[in-house]
Amino acid sequence: MEFATNISLASLFQQVLVGLSRTTILFIVASGLSLVLGVLRIPNVAHGSLYMVGAFMTYTFASLFGQSALGFWLALTVAPLGVALISFLVERSLFCHLYEREHMMLLLFTFAFSLVIGDMVKLIWGSDYRSLTAPLFLQGSFSISGFPFPRYNLFLLMMGPLVAAGLWFLTNKTKIGKIARAAAVDREMVGAIGINVSGVFAAVFVIGCYLAGLGGALVAPTQNITQGMDHAIIIEAFLIVIIGGLGNIWGALLGALIFGLTDSIGILLLPQFAIVFPYMAVVIVLIFRPKGLLKSTW
Amino acid sequence: MKNLSVSSISFSIMIIACMFVIAPSSLAAKVLKIGIVDCYSGPASTYTNDVRDGFKLEVKKINAAGGILGRKIEVFTRDSKFKVDLGLSAAKELIYRENVDIMMGTINSALALAISNLCKKEKVPFFVTFSKSAKITGAKGHRYVFSITENTAIAGKAAAAGLAKKPYKKYWIAGDDYEYGHAIADGVWSNLKKMQPGVELLGQSWWKVGEPDFTPYITAILSAKPDAVIIATGGRDNVPFLKAAKATGFNERVPFFMHTATELSTLKPLGLEAPEGVIGTSNYFFYYPETAANKSFVKNFEEAYNRKPAVGAVYGLLAAKFIFGAYKKAGKVDTEEFIDNVEGMWVNSPVGKITMRAYDHQAMLPMFMGVTKKVAGYDFLVATDIVTIPGKDVMPSIEEIKKARNQ
Repeated sequence: MEFATNISLASLFQQVLVGLSRTTILFIVASGLSLVLGVLRIPNVAHGSLYMVGAFMTYTFASLFGQSALGFWLALTVAPLGVALISFLVERSLFCHLYEREHMMLLLFTFAFSLVIGDMVKLIWGSDYRSLTAPLFLQGSFSISGFPFPRYNLFLLMMGPLVAAGLWFLTNKTKIGKIARAAAVDREMVGAIGINVSGVFAAVFVIGCYLAGLGGALVAPTQNITQGMDHAIIIEAFLIVIIGGLGNIWGALLGALIFGLTDSIGILLLPQFAIVFPYMAVVIVLIFRPKGLLKSTW
Repeated sequence: MKNLSVSSISFSIMIIACMFVIAPSSLAAKVLKIGIVDCYSGPASTYTNDVRDGFKLEVKKINAAGGILGRKIEVFTRDSKFKVDLGLSAAKELIYRENVDIMMGTINSALALAISNLCKKEKVPFFVTFSKSAKITGAKGHRYVFSITENTAIAGKAAAAGLAKKPYKKYWIAGDDYEYGHAIADGVWSNLKKMQPGVELLGQSWWKVGEPDFTPYITAILSAKPDAVIIATGGRDNVPFLKAAKATGFNERVPFFMHTATELSTLKPLGLEAPEGVIGTSNYFFYYPETAANKSFVKNFEEAYNRKPAVGAVYGLLAAKFIFGAYKKAGKVDTEEFIDNVEGMWVNSPVGKITMRAYDHQAMLPMFMGVTKKVAGYDFLVATDIVTIPGKDVMPSIEEIKKARNQ
């Protein structure tokens, strides 16, 4: 076992920053998953697939608009909306008929949905992988106390708080957010006072899926857009939601921070065994807080 | 009674249908069947599509000329999706149901070893077309398996020979935490230690295959300040790693070696986004060696597929030349005689005369070491400063093979 011995404060700081940019993606995806889980009580297995669709759509729109900087921003805006539209259509045509059914049916449906999306992606985009280039001013890196930091990661770092603030506003300051929170606690009561619960559910589902699409769109320039990116993210997102507290979006934030930071710092401290760090963190959290760190809405 | 007649009709239809199913397989004695299992989905397809296309190009030529020994060649391809279980069941289907004469594939080392084991049991010759595991013709080698691609032992030796000439002392090793990653890292490092005794290993990092974010690994490596880095990534992680290397400026801060980094399959998808100055080794470039044989191969391949051939195309071509050449020499379709004929056989190729070493069934391919560079006229990076290392210099010795096999 070799510990990296000459770790300076600067490199630790750098590693934390890099970890935080990964945290951003994890948070955006996991918060959407948590939102749907909290309000609709559905573990949406297809969440990762929508993330993949978001990435592929970003690629397609960006090429459609001619791989320019403007095209990139347009794609980043349009692709998550496209994912939201897909989820809206699916929710209204199929999903909403299942709310009265057993829980297992919903779970199976989302699983089937993920398989359908997986094959659709293969049909539409093929099995090749795609690569998307960020606009010129987000390419390359700048130096923070002697270490390189990719410009695009800085952009991700700015997006994280933005999304968190938006979610806070949505859940605390808007009517639909308040109803959604109430429905999460007692949906029958919300229905009893004359609120269209089905409509609220649809809205929450679409917002949750939009976040999956946004995560996929944001991650698109940093990696290969390919089949299989859905499986990788869904496992991590579920772990984050579980350690954060089911259905609690601030729990998702906390979980994403733990997951992202243990990952990047583990890589610095003990690179040979870095893979285990985030999972170790999950195990430790669950030993001490089996129901997650923050209050679960279940 | 009516029901009975319906069922009797359907019964007879079934019998007729069965006859149709059986009939072609009795006719099938007149064709030569080649089964290919490989990963055709996801990032690895950038390597494997060329193997298939290079092979099929040769098959088309032979079929147009009437086939081999009066038989037409039929090629069956199956997608393993980089999964061992899926690929192995596809291989079983090809061997047991289609009764293929020859098996070919695959880029996944674990799967290649699994199919090799199956082919040993079923006595079907298996040509490994892309897996870089040295175990295939080394420790796990047997009579029915052949490798027509370099492997981690060969690439390791070639890379070490190249790196030993450089002034680097402190190294870092980073790669995919699976068979290939560890094997190529061991191959380079064990040879480099022998050739340049002063080298020191500062540390290692291993990530999972399909790692979504390489940035934290890259920054962690930089903070250890190595002189050079050995990157041991395989098929699907090469391209995303190079992308991350470019985004972080990794290549500008520390020189790194990555086997297959200079290959067209790796560099083409990145376009001009690929990092410069990366040291890589490969068996083939469409622009090197500049021989008539290579030029005509490139021309034929381009006419057929409208793209430049990558290294896989040469593996496909070599497979075809060895397989059909050996059948022709044997004069009949007989597995044991076929194998006797492949052993020690040589064929002409775009990279010169290639011999199949009789002892371990490893094709002796030359290795080209080069550095990635932007060159006017190409919309992707190419290898420059190419050094050729002849096949006989980088092959593991027969003694080493014997030792690996505990003989």
